[in-house]
Amino acid sequence: MAAVNPGARFVIGGQTVMLLALYAFLYFPIFYIGYLSVMENNVWPFPPVFTGEWYGRLMIMSDFHVGLLNSVLIGIGTALLSTLFATAAAIGLLRYPVRRRGAIAVLFLAPLFVAQILIGISTLMFNRNVLGIPGNIESAIVANTTYSVSFAFLVILAQLVRYDWRFDEVAQVFGARPFRTFREVTFPNIWPAVLGAFIISFILGFNNFEITFYNVAAIPTLPTIAWGTLRHGIEPELYALATIVNALVFALLFVIYLLIRVGALRLGVPDD
Amino acid sequence: MSDQAILRIEAVEKRFGAVRAVDGVSLEIGSREFFALLGPSGSGKTTLLRIVSGLEAPDRGRVEIGGTDVTALPPYLRRIGMVFQDFLLFPHRTVAENITFPLKMQGRSAVEREEQLDWILGFVRMEGLGDRFPHQLSGGQKQRVALARGLIARPELLLLDEPLANLDRELRKEMEIEVRRYQEELGIPFVYVTHNQEEALTMSDRMAVMHRGGLEQVGPKLEVYNAPATRFVASFVGAPNRLSGRAMQDDGERLLIDWGGIRLVGRAAGSARPGDAVEMFLKSERIALGPAADAAQHENRLEGTVRDIIFKGQFADYIVRADNDVELVVSGPTSVAGVERNARVTLGWPVEAADVFAVEDGEP
Repeated sequence: MAAVNPGARFVIGGQTVMLLALYAFLYFPIFYIGYLSVMENNVWPFPPVFTGEWYGRLMIMSDFHVGLLNSVLIGIGTALLSTLFATAAAIGLLRYPVRRRGAIAVLFLAPLFVAQILIGISTLMFNRNVLGIPGNIESAIVANTTYSVSFAFLVILAQLVRYDWRFDEVAQVFGARPFRTFREVTFPNIWPAVLGAFIISFILGFNNFEITFYNVAAIPTLPTIAWGTLRHGIEPELYALATIVNALVFALLFVIYLLIRVGALRLGVPDD
Repeated sequence: MSDQAILRIEAVEKRFGAVRAVDGVSLEIGSREFFALLGPSGSGKTTLLRIVSGLEAPDRGRVEIGGTDVTALPPYLRRIGMVFQDFLLFPHRTVAENITFPLKMQGRSAVEREEQLDWILGFVRMEGLGDRFPHQLSGGQKQRVALARGLIARPELLLLDEPLANLDRELRKEMEIEVRRYQEELGIPFVYVTHNQEEALTMSDRMAVMHRGGLEQVGPKLEVYNAPATRFVASFVGAPNRLSGRAMQDDGERLLIDWGGIRLVGRAAGSARPGDAVEMFLKSERIALGPAADAAQHENRLEGTVRDIIFKGQFADYIVRADNDVELVVSGPTSVAGVERNARVTLGWPVEAADVFAVEDGEP
């Protein structure tokens, strides 16, 4: 590498410091919870004295296991519905000569701008008063989907604009019926986008508090347990809970990161 | 060939909004024919091809393939092959998987697919490359794979949409010969869409010239080249000189014109009457060029000065300024005795090398 002159080195150094400061701003609170979760003294954890006690206590909390299971169920249900709707919407919008494409896309994105707590309350009222559906896991899944589908749609749309729909025409000319075309050609080319949307809507459903809280009645989920615990003052088990949830979410984000790399390799290869 | 036409297009019409992309086209293509559909971009040729493939539905008219009315059939029921512009090989599939895709869709066994694959890889000279992915191939190789995919199922008809447009000139020349060989050896009718007249003239048996959604002329390629039926065909096919003048005298097949004070005789191809503004389309390679008097045996003669000689390799273009100060392009051998820059020369050409149309005979 060519010698970097001192001025340029100064600029690069400054940029690095700013980047690190930004990451610190984003992640320190999260890391601090993780740190607290293994500290014997949570009030003033310096110097550090490690303990696994809070995790132990969390594990024997019966609510925790049920809550984890329920959150996973809500996450999976939300992810399945959101991905299905978002994929269909994105394909419909891009594949066919649709009029008012922009307006249709914006209407899919509108839930992003509605406060989640309003979605929570209004779906509760609507489900109970109009449809007569009680609060339970299923209605929490449906309510979460109204919100997550927007994110899933964004993720898929961003990828699908790069897909060349003429490949579908090629498949049809060579004898593939529409569903076969999707299975043989479309999906193998767009699956990273679909999986990315699935993971993101899973995380949203899994983590969601406001929408879930109003629609799930008294059934515990991890975020509602955290909220419930908070009302009796902050218990150290909460740190352990938060850390476990964050670890899970970061693991999934890492999968997305891998997908972006693989997806870029697979989808981004120019044809010439 | 109407009794054995493999493709019959009847009064097909297609509009996009206010634009008539295909405007009442009827056409028949024989069972062993290499047919070129030539036209500038926007002339409707690709739309017509897409209607034949089923990717586009006509507003009006019928399409028959092999005697069956397929107008209402989706592409996957038409038993055709197609070679697309930009090749469009499936990026997630190997060469072998791309090529055998049509057989797989037809439900043929793996053994049969393997056999056919071996045959076609040999046929298009791509042996040993079956395991590659499309992004590992050169442009020419991709083209061969795209052709192999179009041909492997031995379709009733192969449609080709500007398949060579993205290849460089050298490769295109090579592929023109290759594509022609595939058609001759397999006997499958090809419908080849192109905006490149050279491709159409090199490969096809018959050709149609398309303009503004309609067919201007359909016929054997030499006939289209030598006897253009319309002013548009005359201007689009060949690289003709275009001489504007006025019709003077008409004796049926021939038309005498006044070209800026010089009298010329051409084939009366359009509806020009004496007194009309006309254009003479004169093919540059039909003009004889020599030092004075050499071109004297021709009916049309004129004197001029060589302004420039553009060397093109196998031949050269001579830019000659006629004595009425209008320039003509003459294609000839790279050297002609006594012809150099600023030399006085005589040009001569036979009547049938020049087609005269009235300016009213439609826009070129």
